[in-house]
Amino acid sequence: MAIDVRCDRVSKRYRVQRKDDVPAGLAGRAARALWSPTVDFWALRDASFDISRGETIGIIGRNGAGKSTILKLLGGITDPTEGEITIVGRLAALIEVGSGFHPELTGRENVFLSGAILGMKRREIRARLDSISDFSGVAAFLDTPVKYYSSGMYVRLGFAIAAHLEAHVLLVDEVLAVGDAEFQGRCLQRIQELKRNGATMVLVSHDLGAIEQLADRAILVDRGRLIADGSATDVITRYQRLVNGSDAVPSDADVNEPGDAPVRIAALTLHSPEGTSLLAAVAGAPLIARVSLSGDAATAARVTLSFYDFNAGTLLTTCSGEVPAATTPGATEVSVEFTFPELLLAPGVYTLGATVTPVGAGRPVAWRFGRTTLYVQGRHTSQGVFAQPFEYRVSSHSTAARLPVTTESS
Amino acid sequence: MSNLARALDANRPVTVRRPNRRQGIGADLRALAGHVDLFWTLTAHRIRVRYKQSVLGVCWALLQPVGLMLIFTLVFGRIARVPSEGVPYSLFVYSGLLLWSFFATAVGSATHALVSHGQLITKVYFPREILPLTYVAAALFDLCIGSAVLGGLLVYHGRPIGLAIVFAVPAVMTVVALVIAAALMLSAVHVRFRDVGLAVPLLLYLWMFSTPIAYPVSGVPAAYRPWFMLNPMTGVVESFRRAVVHGTPPDLAVLAVPLITAAILLPVAYATFKRVEKTMADVI
Repeated sequence: MAIDVRCDRVSKRYRVQRKDDVPAGLAGRAARALWSPTVDFWALRDASFDISRGETIGIIGRNGAGKSTILKLLGGITDPTEGEITIVGRLAALIEVGSGFHPELTGRENVFLSGAILGMKRREIRARLDSISDFSGVAAFLDTPVKYYSSGMYVRLGFAIAAHLEAHVLLVDEVLAVGDAEFQGRCLQRIQELKRNGATMVLVSHDLGAIEQLADRAILVDRGRLIADGSATDVITRYQRLVNGSDAVPSDADVNEPGDAPVRIAALTLHSPEGTSLLAAVAGAPLIARVSLSGDAATAARVTLSFYDFNAGTLLTTCSGEVPAATTPGATEVSVEFTFPELLLAPGVYTLGATVTPVGAGRPVAWRFGRTTLYVQGRHTSQGVFAQPFEYRVSSHSTAARLPVTTESS
Repeated sequence: MSNLARALDANRPVTVRRPNRRQGIGADLRALAGHVDLFWTLTAHRIRVRYKQSVLGVCWALLQPVGLMLIFTLVFGRIARVPSEGVPYSLFVYSGLLLWSFFATAVGSATHALVSHGQLITKVYFPREILPLTYVAAALFDLCIGSAVLGGLLVYHGRPIGLAIVFAVPAVMTVVALVIAAALMLSAVHVRFRDVGLAVPLLLYLWMFSTPIAYPVSGVPAAYRPWFMLNPMTGVVESFRRAVVHGTPPDLAVLAVPLITAAILLPVAYATFKRVEKTMADVI
């Protein structure tokens, strides 16, 4: 397997100026400017990893753990202090959507500008201009200065440009955090398309659901050290354990260690009625959520599926079903499918969680939260979380003749 | 390394990043040549943005040299009666101001090139020298527009234009080299020491009056003249003025000081710039 990216014992040191003793006087300040005591801060220490051709890897970690430093080093924005990075192929960094836009210029002019900054030739951009404007959905405003754009349009155009880059290696930082749900769904589809075309990708996102669904592999960084490297599912579990380390709830009961609990939730996935796996669903369309269990289901258990608002984290609704005790002892694989004939969620971003509680017991024995993200797209932008089906009728009566009308109908 | 060696197929560029990479000026220039589209796009963008919402548009490029010419002609030509080598004072001063305006605009704006694009520098990589270079190119565009007025003045005063343009080329090329060296050096130093950005306008102001723009070299007392000739802009302005106003072919002796200065400064400035570039994103 060809390797596109190799990091070999890479470290990055930042020198932070000490602010404790500010010298007085002009001479002192000039001297301080030329030589000042600094404190070393290692943003990344001894990180080694390879990325194979066509592989998508996710980099996860808490804020300030070193994720962005890795991206900056890979992207050549800054040089490593130690170690060596080798990149095979043309690299493009999609670090902040639309960061190269100039407000006075039109959308079209900005496409050329951003494309050139990202390393495209004018000829290549011209050839892709139509697909970029189609993808962005702002085709009608392409000759309007972008200062009149809404922030949504801005982001769409920015992502559209980046999504049409011809790069062998693509660095993507938190792009899924922008735009509306409909557009996020489209971005995800585009990333999957690029992946199918064989692009090597490095994703940084706080959306663990997206990482788990898009990345083949994940790397966990903490305080500048690379502490885990493995399948996205395993590394995300490790990360959740790290984050919830002090939690009263044993957060590691969901996956990974067989024997910890009699039953584990192996996966929580979303499907269309035809059985294809989904990242994004359409409001009002049917959806199937599948909870896969593995382990020794000696007793009957209740499987509960819950929907959360992605941003607020509030519980929206739950549904549950009972799994009878296995008739034959030993490890079994069971999957529970929840079918929603008509998805009643408004366009937006949601997360799904699941728990398994033995019948008669008060506490769940297995759970899985924050790992499955559901992007709901829709033709109508309704506010709130529910897409309540409704009809409406307008009726009017002439009230001029009979003035005192007090009745009201609902 | 065997895995990696297998991965190195011919049609994919291989980039290696390691501390203190010194890839040499040749490789730096090749990387720059690979981004020539970005250079043109950014230059066009610079020119377009500058005139986009202004009513007078491109006329603004003329306003600085023409405005200065009018005031200088009034103050030095009419009131102080500064000699002008037998040439109409307006033509004499404009030929100097045109070249100086290019120098001052390019150096003054390019100094801020990196700092004003901090957003971009911390987000994407491209050869950073493109940023100051686009300011130089945009100022060169203004110089071309301003030359039209010079042509008009020459015609008005009944002087031949033909060969003058060809004779002016060495002086213009020398000043472009000097400007690029200054732009690279100042913009790179400005990233760490913001004092530079504040000092440059004042320095340019003082520098203008130490250059024979409003007065001829012959008016400088003989005792000061050797020092005076050390200013690289003196030779450039003299050479340019002789070519366009008097139609004299370029003289190597006049251009020697600026040429040597440019030959030394340009590589030094580029090497300094590339050294600062590596950690630019960390301090900007």
